[in-house]
Formats: sequence, C-alpha cells, structure tokens
Amino acid sequence: MKNSIKVERAKKNMTQADLAELAKVTRQTINAMELGKYAPSTILALRLASIFGVEVSEIFELEKEDWK
Amino acid sequence: MKTNYLFPTRFKKLGWLIFCPAMLFTIIIKYSYLLFPDQTNPSIVSFVDLFNTTVFAIMGNNFDGENIYFKLIENNILNEIFLVLSIISLLFIGFSKEKHEDELIAKIRTESLVWATYVNYIILLLCILFIFNLDFLYVIEFNIFTILIFFIIRFNLKVAKLNKSLRHEE
Repeated sequence: MKNSIKVERAKKNMTQADLAELAKVTRQTINAMELGKYAPSTILALRLASIFGVEVSEIFELEKEDWK
Repeated sequence: MKTNYLFPTRFKKLGWLIFCPAMLFTIIIKYSYLLFPDQTNPSIVSFVDLFNTTVFAIMGNNFDGENIYFKLIENNILNEIFLVLSIISLLFIGFSKEKHEDELIAKIRTESLVWATYVNYIILLLCILFIFNLDFLYVIEFNIFTILIFFIIRFNLKVAKLNKSLRHEE
C-alpha cells in the first residue's frame, strides 16, 4: 500500500512529532508508515484523513500486491 | 476496543525489581547445591531449611515415595516461592504497557509472542528428542520461563530497532 503521508504533512508544514501528537501515536509509527513498513489500522487512517482534511483514499492507495 | 490485557507501565520496573534478586538468589542456592552437594556452605543449608514447612498437596509424594492426594505433606517451599516470583515478575516485565503505547507497538508485541512460541517449542522438541531422564527434568523446569524470556528479548530488540531507525531519520 502506498501512502502520501509525507506529502500531506509537508503541505501542512508539520513535523513527524506534530503529526504523531495529533494522531495520538508515536513518532515511530508515523515514520514506519511513511517508509511503507507499517499499514495503519482503519481508525488511524481515518484520524490521519481527518487531521489533513482529506479523504482516506487520497492518502492511501492500493497496490497490485495488496490483492495477493 | 481498548481492552489490551496489559499491566500499567510501572509494573515493568516492579517486575525487574522482583525478577533480578529472585534469579540471583536461585542461582546462588541451586549451584551451591548442584556443584558442591557435600560441602554446601552451612549458612546456605540452614537458610534453605528455614523454608521446610507443611503444605497442602493436591498431588505429591511422601518420603517413602508413595503417592499422596489431598493431604498435608512436609515440603521445602523455597522452590515454589522462586517459581511464583519468577513467573509473576516475567509477566509484569513482558506484559506492561510501554511508555508510549500505540498500535505499532501492539503489532510488534503480537508478532514477538508468535515468534517466541515457535522458538520455544522448536527448542523443546529438540530437547525431547535428544535429552533424557533427570536432565530432561531440568529442561522442563527452564521451559516454564523460556517462552516469556524469548518474548521479552525479541520484543525489546524490535522496539529498540524501531527507535534506532527513527534516530537515523533525524
């Protein structure tokens, strides 16, 4: 799964720590998501969308291998 | 949703505070008996003897080796105290909330638990096949804790790796 968290974060001029605090997770989790190492829960995905003021589908995008 | 069956964060420290002295004590007492059975320090012997007491046994043996059920028997309870303290303290160490608990930590915890279960039983299988008699009894005694110990090591290593990867990002 691809995501544009880093881009959205840059648009809002937020650091990983800022986003982590708003999303109520650790910076480690934000970092792992940005590196594509961790797929968040639905709740966290919805929180991120709400923080950025966009739809979940605008941040996260399915890839071919997600169907395997 | 919020149920995670974890102890509060402070229980981790408490776990270490119980586990370390309990382990140290056991090693000193066990090894002084195992290595020098005839010349164990008299102060250790008299200390161990303090724990001879009457206990209620659901199952056990008396001194003649006869099986006993639901009776009071004489027993040294030092072993039992050590086992109870070790199990409780390892549960505290392994299953206390992290300072900053979130879903990634929860995922690492679950994965570490699966990993530890596999490693524990692979080692146990090898011990079943290659270790026999009284030595196997020692294996079983250790096996009481090994799953928790493997879990604690793996979980903490993974969390440390995660923190390290973050430092690289800075």
